[in-house]
Amino acid sequence: MKKIGLIYSFNTNKTSQAAKKIAKEIGDQNISHVNAENITEKEFLKFDLIMLGVPTWFDGELPNYWDEFVPALEDMDLKGKTCAVFGNGDQKGYPENFVDGIGIMADLLESRGAKLAGFTSVEGYQFEGSKAVRGDQFTGLALDFENQGKEINSRIKNWVKQLRQELGI
Amino acid sequence: MTEIPKRFSIKTTDRKTLSRWFHLLVLGRALDNRAPNYLKQAIGWSYHAPYAGHDGIQLAIGQVFDRSTDHLFPYYRDMLTCLSAGLTAEEIILNGLSKDTDIASGGRHMSNHFAKPEWNIHNVSSCTGNHAQHATGVGRAMKKYRHKGVAICSQGESSVSEGYVYEAINGASNEQLPVVFVIQDNGYGISVPKADQTANRKVANNFRGFKNLRIIHCNGKDVFDSMNALAEAKEWVLKNQKPCIVQANCVRIHSHSNSDRHELYRDDYELNYVSEYDPVGKFRRLLLRYKRFTEDELKAIEEKVKKEVLESHKKAMAAPDPDPASIRNFILPEPYQAAAYPEGTHVHDGPKKKLIEALNETLKAEFRHNPDTYLWGQDIAHKEKGGIFNVSKGMQQEFGRERVFNAPIAEDFIMGTANGMSRFDKKIRIVVEGAEFADYFWPAMEQLVGSTHDYWRSKGQFSPNITVRLASGGYIGGGLYHSQTIEGALSTLPGIRIVYPSFADDAAGLLRTSIRSEGLTLFMEPKALYNAPVAATPVPDDFEVPFGKARIRLSGNDLSVITYGNTTHMCIEAARKLSEESEYSIEVVDIRSLVPLDREAVIRSVKKTGKALVVHEDKVFSGFGAELAAIITDAAFEFLDGPVRRVGSTFTPVGFNRILEKAILPDTEKILSAMKALLDY
Repeated sequence: MKKIGLIYSFNTNKTSQAAKKIAKEIGDQNISHVNAENITEKEFLKFDLIMLGVPTWFDGELPNYWDEFVPALEDMDLKGKTCAVFGNGDQKGYPENFVDGIGIMADLLESRGAKLAGFTSVEGYQFEGSKAVRGDQFTGLALDFENQGKEINSRIKNWVKQLRQELGI
Repeated sequence: MTEIPKRFSIKTTDRKTLSRWFHLLVLGRALDNRAPNYLKQAIGWSYHAPYAGHDGIQLAIGQVFDRSTDHLFPYYRDMLTCLSAGLTAEEIILNGLSKDTDIASGGRHMSNHFAKPEWNIHNVSSCTGNHAQHATGVGRAMKKYRHKGVAICSQGESSVSEGYVYEAINGASNEQLPVVFVIQDNGYGISVPKADQTANRKVANNFRGFKNLRIIHCNGKDVFDSMNALAEAKEWVLKNQKPCIVQANCVRIHSHSNSDRHELYRDDYELNYVSEYDPVGKFRRLLLRYKRFTEDELKAIEEKVKKEVLESHKKAMAAPDPDPASIRNFILPEPYQAAAYPEGTHVHDGPKKKLIEALNETLKAEFRHNPDTYLWGQDIAHKEKGGIFNVSKGMQQEFGRERVFNAPIAEDFIMGTANGMSRFDKKIRIVVEGAEFADYFWPAMEQLVGSTHDYWRSKGQFSPNITVRLASGGYIGGGLYHSQTIEGALSTLPGIRIVYPSFADDAAGLLRTSIRSEGLTLFMEPKALYNAPVAATPVPDDFEVPFGKARIRLSGNDLSVITYGNTTHMCIEAARKLSEESEYSIEVVDIRSLVPLDREAVIRSVKKTGKALVVHEDKVFSGFGAELAAIITDAAFEFLDGPVRRVGSTFTPVGFNRILEKAILPDTEKILSAMKALLDY
């Protein structure tokens, strides 16, 4: 199996925790951990299957390390790539833009030709608005350490199971 | 990230522009970081609200501002906004150190309140968002004069807790005015988090229901997102002639100001989180990452900034401090010179006109005389109605809706937009009916007080040229909200003239002088006299009464009665009764103008009679009579044959029931009794 690129900031706490759980669930041997803080175009394009850890900062923004990579992404041809996005949000503290980061990133990747995978149901969450919502699904895996910490493991487990089915990994 | 055209990006924006922006960002931050050092050394900058974390949006505001067409209203955190708009580092430091050559105010206003009135970068109050109404007022002027430009109002997100900000945005929405309201959202009002201020974290969404209004959200920490948002907002406002709100999400890297300690309410995680997103660091990384500049090139700009700051510091430190002898300069501008009637008296012998006719005819005459005159207020113009008492009847029909129009029931907005419209061009003269009745004027107080500061605070660079008409006083059975008078409280404010005529001719003459003058004049109209035959007089068509000229209404030798407004007539009646009953002759001095006051006329009369009775409708306790009594005692003590006595209303509100009103307000009998007691002393 070709290695999956798991890209997230190594400086983070919760996103790193989630990424490591995802890697373990998939099987560490199949994963290349890549630090989003200094990701390059070349490194990004090395992978055909890319998993991105994208938490939401402030009132619905990408973290600076992803935001600074956006100009590069905007010019990339991602045809033939498959991307799955996961990210943390706080549905009680920031209900107006819960996991917006997932939506911003997913939309951008898709606009450059990538195929998105790993959409999940909005059921079980309570929030007012999110750029990650399409119909009754999030465009990735929404995690909420602040308010639904106990569900992190099961959500990751189910998500990986779903990705295995969707992508045959 | 916003769904708006990407005019600017790290890859497409030209190098010259990027270089200029980097220079401004580094220069601004160098000054922002340096400011606390001046305070530590006790040199100055004792108020400093650091802007670090607002860099993207502040750079963008200054870049889209065009001083040849636009008006900018920065708030107290807008250092980079002003630098980006064109102020020099030296000008910033001069303000920080409150030097005489500070272009904002010559050291009169608080430090960190940057302005350059010469470029229409306005000197504004420190009240959060107070200038939103001024921006709306300028927008109104731009629309009326068909000017192609925008007013840009910059404010923090906590300003949306202020009612007057809603009034301003409601007005801009309703009148469809070219105003860009920029809300710099750093999540805190001093230490108060957004959650304690309003339910919407995206506070601009509080205005979603307002018509004719576009709302844009952007990342105020990001230069390109901020530039794109502001450029789009300005273009849209110019094209559509409607207002737009731009809410910029920022971080506050430091405390609110030097008097705040954010470590008392922000934990290390949060402080680290916000400093992670330092906008200058981000911009620098982008310049390198996308190979627009080399490290050496950026270092060269940073070195240049260091030298620039040092040179500016040296010049500012050598600049003169304000002269203490100058404190009385620029309290009020010179008034119109009433040359035809230097004493404010006449011998015209025409038919008598009622006070209300005199006001109406003078307003019309002045509006014919000067096309740059405007009148608005509550109830001011709706078909045949012209104000609650019809003082402005027929004005809208003659001068059109462009110049004479209703205001919403929002007294603060009436005052605030008058102030703002004045800022567009000093030739403009505005008359407002401040409230339906003077009693309802209190909601306008923060705008009135701010307007009294303007001329002094800007060291004579801006004067709100406004006549505030207020139907005042009692004797109509109106109670607490229709029968009180408020001049006593307002006479404590330097920066506003207060006139209070009693007769039709004086009303006409003082109104003409007020409208023709620069500055702020409170024109109190004793509404009980609007149609009273006793107040009717002949009125010369061109009559003028200078400010600060009292008028002797009755000449006498035994007692001076100093009065104004409604009680002038009671004093005259009481004096006449007393003369009929006795040998005494009473002098009635109608001061007409409280501020400025004709001290000489008052003292001259008291020196002649040796006794003084001060009479007014307002409360005796802390009323304007207290000032008059103190002046008389101080300047004519050795001429007095008795105590200075006062007659006025009781230290109570005015009751609605006529029995209560009579018990509270002064009247002829009470005045007569006081006259007798003082004459017998």
